[in-house]
Amino acid sequence: MGPRTGKEPVVWSLAVVLAGFSCAIAVAQEPATRVDFDREIRPVLADNCFGCHGPDAAARKAKLRLDRREGVLGQVKSGRPGDSPLLERVSSSDPKHRMPPPESGRRLSVEEVLRIRTWIAQGGRWTRHWSLRPIARPGVPEAVGVAVSRGAIDRFVQARLAEHGLEPSGPSDRARLLRRVTLDLTGLPPEPRQVDTAIADTGADWYERCVDRLLASPRFGEHHARHWLDLARYADTDGYQDDEPRVMWRWRDWVIDVVNRNMSFDRFTIEQLAGDLLPDAGPEQVLATGFNRNNRTNGEGGSIAEEFRVEYIIDRLDTLSTTWMGLTVACARCHDHKYDPLSQRDFYRLFAYFNNIEEKGTYRRNSPPLLKIPTPAVADELAELAVSIEGLAKGNPRRKVFEATRQALLKSVPSTMVLREGPRRDTFILVRGQYDRHGEKVTAGVPESLPPVSAQWPVNRLGLARWLVDSKHPLTARVAVNRIWQQLFGRGLVATPEDFGVQGSRPSHPALLDFLASEFRDGGWDVKRLLRLIVTSHTYRQASVVRPGDLLRDPDNTWLARASRLRLSAETIRDQALAVSGLLVEQLGGPSVKPYQPAGLWKEIAGGASGAYRNGYQADRGPGLFRRSLYTFWRRTIPPPMMATFDAPSREACSVGRGRTNTPLQALALMNDTLFVESARQLAVRVSGETTIEGRVERAFARVLVRRPRPLELKLLMHSFLRSRARFRANPELGRQLMSVGASPSGGVGAGGAAVAAVAEMAALVTTCHVILNLDEAVTRE
Amino acid sequence: MSELSHSPRHDAVSRRLFLGRSSLGIGTGLGSAVLASLLGSESATAATTAATTAPRARRVIYLCQSGAPSQLDLFDHKPGLVRRFGEPLPESIRRGQRLTTMTSGQKRFPVAPSIFRFRRHGESGTEISELLPFTAAMADELCVVKSMHTEAINHDPAITLLQTGSQQAGRPSLGAWLSYGLGSENENLPTFVALTSWSLKGGQPLYERLWGSGFLPTRHQGVRFRAVGDPVLFLSNPPGIASEQRRELLEDVARLNRIKLEIFGDPEIETRMAQYELAFRMQRSVPELVDFSDEPRHVLDLYGPEVSRRGSYAANCLLARRLSERGVRFIQLFHRGWDQHANLPGDIRQLCRATDQPSAGLLSDLKQRGLLDDTLVIWAGEFGRTVYSQGELTSTNYGRDHHPRCFSVWMAGGGIRRGMTYGATDDFSYNVAEGGVHVHDLNATLLKCLGIDHRRLTFQYQGRHHRLTDVHGRVVEPLLA
Repeated sequence: MGPRTGKEPVVWSLAVVLAGFSCAIAVAQEPATRVDFDREIRPVLADNCFGCHGPDAAARKAKLRLDRREGVLGQVKSGRPGDSPLLERVSSSDPKHRMPPPESGRRLSVEEVLRIRTWIAQGGRWTRHWSLRPIARPGVPEAVGVAVSRGAIDRFVQARLAEHGLEPSGPSDRARLLRRVTLDLTGLPPEPRQVDTAIADTGADWYERCVDRLLASPRFGEHHARHWLDLARYADTDGYQDDEPRVMWRWRDWVIDVVNRNMSFDRFTIEQLAGDLLPDAGPEQVLATGFNRNNRTNGEGGSIAEEFRVEYIIDRLDTLSTTWMGLTVACARCHDHKYDPLSQRDFYRLFAYFNNIEEKGTYRRNSPPLLKIPTPAVADELAELAVSIEGLAKGNPRRKVFEATRQALLKSVPSTMVLREGPRRDTFILVRGQYDRHGEKVTAGVPESLPPVSAQWPVNRLGLARWLVDSKHPLTARVAVNRIWQQLFGRGLVATPEDFGVQGSRPSHPALLDFLASEFRDGGWDVKRLLRLIVTSHTYRQASVVRPGDLLRDPDNTWLARASRLRLSAETIRDQALAVSGLLVEQLGGPSVKPYQPAGLWKEIAGGASGAYRNGYQADRGPGLFRRSLYTFWRRTIPPPMMATFDAPSREACSVGRGRTNTPLQALALMNDTLFVESARQLAVRVSGETTIEGRVERAFARVLVRRPRPLELKLLMHSFLRSRARFRANPELGRQLMSVGASPSGGVGAGGAAVAAVAEMAALVTTCHVILNLDEAVTRE
Repeated sequence: MSELSHSPRHDAVSRRLFLGRSSLGIGTGLGSAVLASLLGSESATAATTAATTAPRARRVIYLCQSGAPSQLDLFDHKPGLVRRFGEPLPESIRRGQRLTTMTSGQKRFPVAPSIFRFRRHGESGTEISELLPFTAAMADELCVVKSMHTEAINHDPAITLLQTGSQQAGRPSLGAWLSYGLGSENENLPTFVALTSWSLKGGQPLYERLWGSGFLPTRHQGVRFRAVGDPVLFLSNPPGIASEQRRELLEDVARLNRIKLEIFGDPEIETRMAQYELAFRMQRSVPELVDFSDEPRHVLDLYGPEVSRRGSYAANCLLARRLSERGVRFIQLFHRGWDQHANLPGDIRQLCRATDQPSAGLLSDLKQRGLLDDTLVIWAGEFGRTVYSQGELTSTNYGRDHHPRCFSVWMAGGGIRRGMTYGATDDFSYNVAEGGVHVHDLNATLLKCLGIDHRRLTFQYQGRHHRLTDVHGRVVEPLLA
């Protein structure tokens, strides 16, 4: 949806309208461009007419539906604008007759009226809303001019660029591209060794090999999973009131694992929505259903169980429809959707799929159904122990030791929440969405405006999941590829990834979107293949320099004439600092950890009723301080402050696509958060093997920014270093203090006995490293 | 009339275009216009055109009493109940309406009249309980609404509804809407500040969502000023870095960023440079702001003896005044401990002792500075409490359960009628008898005081033009001056 700058109070007169019409006639005699109903007419009707003549039956007036084919065409005489009631009503000068009525405060602009006129004159053909049409594979356009093209994606993009009189940028330089793709695919910067290898690689496919290496890295699964965790509203607490801890990290680890193993997206979908119902369901499939236990749950004293059981189902529907269909079904909780073809009945038919889940309405922490499932590593260990125990006679002292170990291990295996079907419940339309006001009884089913469910599928969550990933479903593949595009370009081909409905944005590149969606769907829903296809395109590999005129012609970079510079996500900013300083503890999965957090943050606002947080936030000691950010303990009502400052959602509800704000609080965090100061300190230590100061500064700079500093940059950094060193020489105590920030050892430099000169030298290098970590380029992927 | 509505994309476009222009021509110095735009006042122009009336208030101080104070013991005087002490609540009053599961299993619902005395105060004759002597002395400034009501019956959904217009998490809070709609009035401080105070009685937890930005850009979220450690997160320099050195290091960062800007031409770089400048200014202005040493004794005394204890309700009330003086648009103060299911008489005495004088002191302090004219002050909890006793009822002790069907709030200052009591409840303070004011109505009225039509302050998200008041709310005209 484009910007709504609001409706100016247009001074209308018949003369204006007529003048406009004659203008239109003049235009119509030219080889007029075709007015497309879906793109140019439906949005006008949606905005102005659907309120009373749309999907909402309760609000409908005069039994007229302009959201449907028959309704619109009943108001239109093909080729004869003058005889068409639609045009007559919207352009009437009689306020009693004109639509929308004056009291609505709405009125079509002259341009909109003319557009409707032209559309009718051209035949008045109706078309479905774009996202509800079947996905067909479009033909790939011819290559345009001499621009670099590496395949279909580039041809689609360059065809659109040509239409807008724009040209693609040249390729990005190798180091910058390597940093970009490494950050995008793994959320970590490239190692200097990898940079050197890539730069020295003379093979034509150097880049493709880098991409394959990155996609094969376990770091990929961690990073890619993080996007899914936002959608899945994953957190380590229950989210209401006392917001007590729960154990869902086994599910989080499942996501990382299957993403790394490149589970196909259709399987990924089915296992999470209905793994428990699969005929061959093993523990892993049941574990997957934890997706739908990530919702907030309320254990507040006095809560009415049914009220919240209903809320959880609604949360699941909201999550399901946003994640897979880009539809805003939540609107239909209380009434028929105002814009999209989703009735309240459709909503409660979807509701019925989730209504039999076995679950109490009010609970804190973890609550049944639970699954006790060891991590793969522990499972292996248990298996080995079992073999060892079997090989030894009863009473053998070694056997006893093994048995004790086994018992202890079994005890440590976490229980995590999963789905299980309980007894069937009747489902009713809830009047005004209220849990205790039952209306008409309904059965499970999918919205009428979407393809029907196959009779071969069971009428349960499994059938629903199969329907979502069926090749006929028009939304799932489009929504999924759009989200991946957004991860890589900062902006989806559909700029509203959460809304593919009538009020959402239209795709900037409809053919490309459908091409990618059909590639994805017909190519086995292979996520790594899709990512590889996109990141190996020239469009992705372009330079990100903003050329003169770019900003004025395409400020948002909608047409992709360059690569966008994008601020890194909260997690990546922190992980990058850990990685370049060598502090990062790389360990895949496990219970969530508690890194630094300013003291008192929980105690100040958390309640006193729960014993779970009696001691407030207790930061870990050792490795827990330096794990990747996706493992940080996520308390929904008080999210980790640095994450929240850099636009991470609270994880209270499904959220897709984060903002990228630019605020003073972010500057304060990068300047003063212990973690970043400590990272600078360790980065300084790490590069101090270089003999010259310049050498150290250059090494630190290259570690973070993956390039050598320009001469002027090096000069400025040296100036910064020298000024800083003078300060620390004058006041060695300050240097010692700086060298003691954070829990990691400082290598003796900050210790009382160290020579003043050495301390000043090292502390100054710390400030220089800290300057580098604070640069715009450091927190931006270019 | 222009509608004040943006899509997220539009928000970004206008900002980028603005900055793009400034980086191309207007000048390389970071003018206040750039800073103003960074602080969100790019939307101020739009708000001005959306305003249906001239604003009567320029800022809001919201004294949120978390846990739900008992209307029966503070404002909603029901002398007739004394005769009914211990009688069961008549079914004609309860009408089968739902109760929380804390008392729905109770065999009896004995009427518990307040043990506190009420008196009429000021020329307005506003009835206020003996628990609030200082507030009572300000009676002629107050507009007491006795006919508030809400839907939620538990704290979390109820306070979320009060502060965000929805029981479910995910919507922007009041202050975030105002930051988005009206922008900032200062260059050194956030637009929206949240304060939480220590309470003797612990209390219900608070949630970041109560001052969160929901689906609005996160720069509109409230910045919490803390009572322990740094007043603003990460405000202090790390050990070993003095303020002067910080300035030098920031100069170095800026010089290097400037090179980047010249090569890459991305206006976001310039924005980041401005944000670092603002961060540095906050490092200087915030400590001065939270330091009360320049306040004369007679002002401190207005707020009572607790004012010098950092993080007390009294200290936060004074801080609220200092923030409002400096152009902070919305100050949200949370005080907890009102959830008196048992031992209400003893506990409410303590809570009132801690809050009565500071609330009233804030009003008189604002008034004597002429700030009350354009500052709207609101005192409200998330719901009311039941007339029947939860647990045992004796002549000196009782408890009260959650009650969403009626409760009392007061407002004062910019745009609000002085010395007024609005609405009424039935003889049991159980149902609204006249002039019902829903939470959405309160919010619509609040926006009206700020010159905003609540139906026009919208943001497009998930295909809908969202509003603070959802599809509800009506301005309660009689409350307006």
